[in-house]
Amino acid sequence: MKSPLSSRIWPPLLAGLVLLGAWYGAIALYHIPSYIFPAPHLILAATWRERRTLAQAALFTFEGAILGFLAAAVLGFIFSAVLGFALSLRRALVPYILLFQMTPVVILAPIYVLWLGQGLPAIIAISYTICFFPIVANTTLGFTSVDRNLVDLFAICRSSRLSEVFRLRFPAALPFFLTGLKIAATLACIGAITGDFLAGSAQNSVGGLGFMTVTYFSQLRIPELFGVALTACAMGFVFVGGVNLLSWCVLHQWHESALKLEK
Amino acid sequence: MSGALLRLENVSKRFGAAAALEGINLTAERGEFISLIGPSGCGKSTLLRLIAGLTAPTGGRVVVDEGPPGPAAEGMFYVFQDPTLLPWLRVRANVELPLQLRGVARPERRERALQMLKLVDLMPAADKYPWQLSGGMRMRVSIARALSVAPRILLLDEPFGALDEMTRDRLNEDLLALRESSPFTAFFVTHSVAEAVFLSTRIVVLSPSPGRLSATIDVPFPFPRRRSLRESPEFLRLLAQASHELRQIDSALR
Repeated sequence: MKSPLSSRIWPPLLAGLVLLGAWYGAIALYHIPSYIFPAPHLILAATWRERRTLAQAALFTFEGAILGFLAAAVLGFIFSAVLGFALSLRRALVPYILLFQMTPVVILAPIYVLWLGQGLPAIIAISYTICFFPIVANTTLGFTSVDRNLVDLFAICRSSRLSEVFRLRFPAALPFFLTGLKIAATLACIGAITGDFLAGSAQNSVGGLGFMTVTYFSQLRIPELFGVALTACAMGFVFVGGVNLLSWCVLHQWHESALKLEK
Repeated sequence: MSGALLRLENVSKRFGAAAALEGINLTAERGEFISLIGPSGCGKSTLLRLIAGLTAPTGGRVVVDEGPPGPAAEGMFYVFQDPTLLPWLRVRANVELPLQLRGVARPERRERALQMLKLVDLMPAADKYPWQLSGGMRMRVSIARALSVAPRILLLDEPFGALDEMTRDRLNEDLLALRESSPFTAFFVTHSVAEAVFLSTRIVVLSPSPGRLSATIDVPFPFPRRRSLRESPEFLRLLAQASHELRQIDSALR
């Protein structure tokens, strides 16, 4: 499957150049002012100018995202384990889990602000809520879809229930859990920014990326606003990349999803 | 009939309204190798699961060593249709697993696992993961794992069904060779009549819906059996007889 490096670098590079060309072309052709659609170099310049503010805002948002994410990972795993083993409880709760998953976090956010006030706790709660359900949905599936033959094998071995849980069901659910984490990692950033957008407050004159969005927009500093998007994008990459790395570390020796490239 | 290793007394099994097995009477003495053949859906696998105590009969009795099958499970092991290895464990740890679950101490079970791997000629693969092995090698790991507990009864559910014929023939010979060093009584489900004749002391033919015993064929060839047996006239005669029995079931169904 390995293609030479150049053939993997050129297509995205070329696409990027075409895109940049179209961007500048559109601005020149239609005389779009920079406060509506700034050129890429203006965005980069504004981002560089505001680097301290943006970095601090990104750190603040990252804190909210990762704390919510970690809480959702731990509690989601435990909750899934319980659901995986208690069939009647699972049947009772699945409709409500789906219901919660369908509820847009934008609507929940003001409610959290009402309960928790402005600031980090509300942002963590929003990030937690948006992460929790994909983790639970995936992990529960992992606990319940263990190969039947393997379950029989453990029965033949007269395994204790505890051994079956720790030696069979936990490892079997692990790839599903990690898939849940990957989905949640993307959502955590979105959740934290949304949360900050609605619940952020400028502590020491710096809010999170959501708060900076509000600030720059109200001042019509549009290149800076695009800079926020760029920063959020970079933060998302770091976050998702970290989770993907974790997943690779855990699975690369044995799991199909990680082996496909090598075969 | 007392003293038999295993006895099925008028065993039946229903799944809801559907009868999977009915009126099964079968006795196995120590050291027998009994093959179960029959068309799909005749309850061969269900029969193995009943013997293993993985499922309970809805009628009749399964008697192992004059007792119920549950407590006797210590001396039983099951080889599945698929290798059924844990993908996150290395080969050696997979072979150790049954001993580990029974609380055997690490040095002892490790040594035992290596012995078994030597027996199936897979020592070099001990530290590999299942995905790194071929289908035939994985099946041999599965057999090594089964033998690690030195079972008195080995239940094999079509273990070589997914393999090519050459691999299957070789594993058949290996299986018989393994029986010389660790004797077990075997129940072997297969779709291959040739495999059944080569391995068995007795072939039990089942007919479907519901599964019943349709015929029993004794296979008198002495052990050890060599691969040349497959070309002998007696072998071919028994092969023809067993195939005939199967065809009779098939034509009765039409």
